[in-house]
Order: sequence, then C-alpha cells, then structure tokens
Amino acid sequence: MYPILTRGYLAALLLAWALSGCAGAKPQPAPTLYQQLGGEQGIHAIVEDFAYRLADDPELVGFFANTNIDYFVGSLADYLCVVSDGPCVYQGAPMDKAHQHMGIHEADFNRLVDALQATLLAQPISASARNQLLKRLAAQHAAVMRYQ
Amino acid sequence: MARRISRWGRRLALGITALLAAALVTPVQAGSRLLGTGGVTQIEGAAGGGLSPWGVLAGTASDTEVAVTVAASEAWLDDYGLRVRGVGVNWHDRVELSYARQRLALDTLGGVLAQDIYGVKLRLFGDPLYHPWGSWSLGVQHKRLDQGQALARAVGAKSTQGNDLYLAGSKLFFDAVAGRNLLANLTLRSTRANQGGLLGFGGDRDSGRSLVAEGSMGLFLTPAWVVGVEYRQKPDNLGFAQEQAWQDLFTALFLTRHLSLTGAWLDLGDIAGLENQRGGYLSLQLAL
Repeated sequence: MYPILTRGYLAALLLAWALSGCAGAKPQPAPTLYQQLGGEQGIHAIVEDFAYRLADDPELVGFFANTNIDYFVGSLADYLCVVSDGPCVYQGAPMDKAHQHMGIHEADFNRLVDALQATLLAQPISASARNQLLKRLAAQHAAVMRYQ
Repeated sequence: MARRISRWGRRLALGITALLAAALVTPVQAGSRLLGTGGVTQIEGAAGGGLSPWGVLAGTASDTEVAVTVAASEAWLDDYGLRVRGVGVNWHDRVELSYARQRLALDTLGGVLAQDIYGVKLRLFGDPLYHPWGSWSLGVQHKRLDQGQALARAVGAKSTQGNDLYLAGSKLFFDAVAGRNLLANLTLRSTRANQGGLLGFGGDRDSGRSLVAEGSMGLFLTPAWVVGVEYRQKPDNLGFAQEQAWQDLFTALFLTRHLSLTGAWLDLGDIAGLENQRGGYLSLQLAL
C-alpha cells in the first residue's frame, strides 16, 4: 500500500501545482472583433477593397453618384470600427437616416452584402471574424430599409 | 403510358439542355441573394433541401428579380430507384411556382409508379439572414398519381390525388458552430400522402389528414459548401405495411450562382413492405 499511496500523493501534489500554475497565469482577455479583423490596418484594407467592389458594380455604383468618396470611406471605417468594438467614434448619421429615400431595394441590399462577403473572404481573417461582422451588420437591415 | 413517359422525359431533357446552353452562352443576370440561401430543389420540386421544402424561395431572386431553377435528381435505394425532374420559378422572392415529376422504379417488385406535383409557395414575411425570426412561407403541393393508381388502391389507398399544405421557416445563424453559419429549417405539413403520394393518399388504417414535422440543419463550411442532416416525419395510413420517417445526411456544393450539386445518404425506412431502404442521392440544379 505504501508505494501506491506515495504515488497517489505525488500525483495529487503535481495536479495541485499544475492547477495553481494555471490559476496564477494572467487570464488573456478574448480578442475583440476589431482585433480579429486586424485593427486599424485590417479595417482600412476591408474598406478599400469594399469601395473598389462597389465602384465596379454597375447596379450599386449609382447609389454613390453624389457621395464624397473620401468622407464615405472614412465614415465607413469608423462605423466598422465601432461595430466591431474598436476604439473609434462614429460621427455619421444613424443607419436609417444615412440611407433614407435612396430607393434601396432588397436586391441592392443583397448585392452589397454579397460584395462585402467577397471582400471579407479576400482578407486574411478567420471565418468566425468574417461571419461575426456579417451578423452584426445584418442586424442593421431593418434600420437601413426603414425609410426607403 | 410508356410513350407518355418518354415524351415527358424528352421534353424535360430538351428544356434542361436549352437552359444549360443559355446559362453557358449568355451572361445571364443572376439573382442577388447570397449563394445557398435559396437551398436546392427538394424531391417535390420546391426550394428546400433534398426531402423537405424550406421557408425560402427558389434561386437567388430578390424583390425586383425573377429566378428559374431546373433540377434533375436520382436516388438509388436497395429495392427502388427514384427519378425526379423539377422546375421552379421565383417571382420577386414572393411567390414560387413549381412542377415536379417523380418516377419510382420498383426494381424488386416490378413496375413503375409516377406522380406529378404542382406547387405554390408564398413567402409570408422575413428573410433568412436579416429577420430575427428568419423567412416564413406557406405552401401547397397538389399531387396526382399518374402511374400505379391500381397498385395504390390495391394496398388500401383511398385516393390517387391529394393536397399537402405546409408552413416552413428558415433561419441562418451567423458564426454558430466553429465560426461557421448554420441554416436551420422547420416545416409543418398537413398531408394524407402515403410515401409522399407514390402509394396514394389516405388509407385503410387512417383516411384523414396528419400533421407532420420536418426539420433540417445545414452548416456552411464555406459560403458555397453546406453539410447537414434532414428528417421528415410521415403519416402511417396503410395497414399492409408500416411507413417510417425519412432521413438523410447531405452535402451541397454551390459551384456558381447557376449551378449546384447535392449529394446525400438516404434512410427512407420500409417502403411497401421492403425493409430498410437506404442508398445514395444525387441532384443537379441549374438556376437562372
């Protein structure tokens, strides 16, 4: 019995040590979506790629005919930063006011989502980050379509 | 009868060839909904999985668009072979009209059963991606057993035509499993159909309607590749043989907006007294 008890005692000691070691390590906070998207640089790359896709889409480019592209790009970057829990301030209009009376159809909204998904697929980000961002933006559908 | 079948077959083959040619030759305007959100063509012709109609409408048409889908499906079971040819039209993501012809070859028993299925599906409200409750649709399937009426009557069926009514909902959950999106579908159906209608409608054991549930879940491993499971409850109206639920494991590949390929492993339970009908399923869908 004696050797077995010793072995058991040793194992318990090791376990306690391992557990205390785990408990003692600093808990890593889960990365925010903003971090998963690559932070400021990542968002910048997303917005740039996305803007080119919108410009290349004959059905969508018309919606930006009277848009100041520099303002749009900066504002979208701020918006994506805020939506993904990043350290930014979005000073643009809320989604319903920002899109009111633009005559946006479901088809246009869907085309834009498809373009955004293509943009996200082209970035070095995880499927989880891509789909989490799509989830947060999809929730804005009702607001965007409110005053069409 | 045989002449009629071959005429149907030729006509559908011709139509499919023409649409395929059109899809390849002309830069056809595709719908704008995300790939895969119109499902594929289920065995009764409606947009859905393999076995169940879903709450979404055919193809990727949105509110200003029209989509047309054509599908050819085959199932190879232990004692039967099922062939389905289907066509669907989605008008403005509001109404779907569909037609399917099912042909079941009785490899072991001998003979052929065939039925025509005319479907209408109305999207009531919602969207699988954007609405918190998903997309919900109400559908009707008018089924007419065309070949095998005598067999259906002989095994106790009360009628050789019937109408299925169903309510179906589909919802995509983003970032649900391992970062991937999960599409969940629930269908409630009122039906008298025996084995989907191929053995007639109503029976000696139960001649009335049954309320049955159907469900499926598909995980999008990529935006163009989904794997999942389906389950479809069925009535058990006939005294001569028990009828069980249908189920399958499926995978669908959306190769382009115009072309998808679905494969499945089916478990259809006992059919007309022949036990444990299992086998493979392949379905090709063209969408315009």
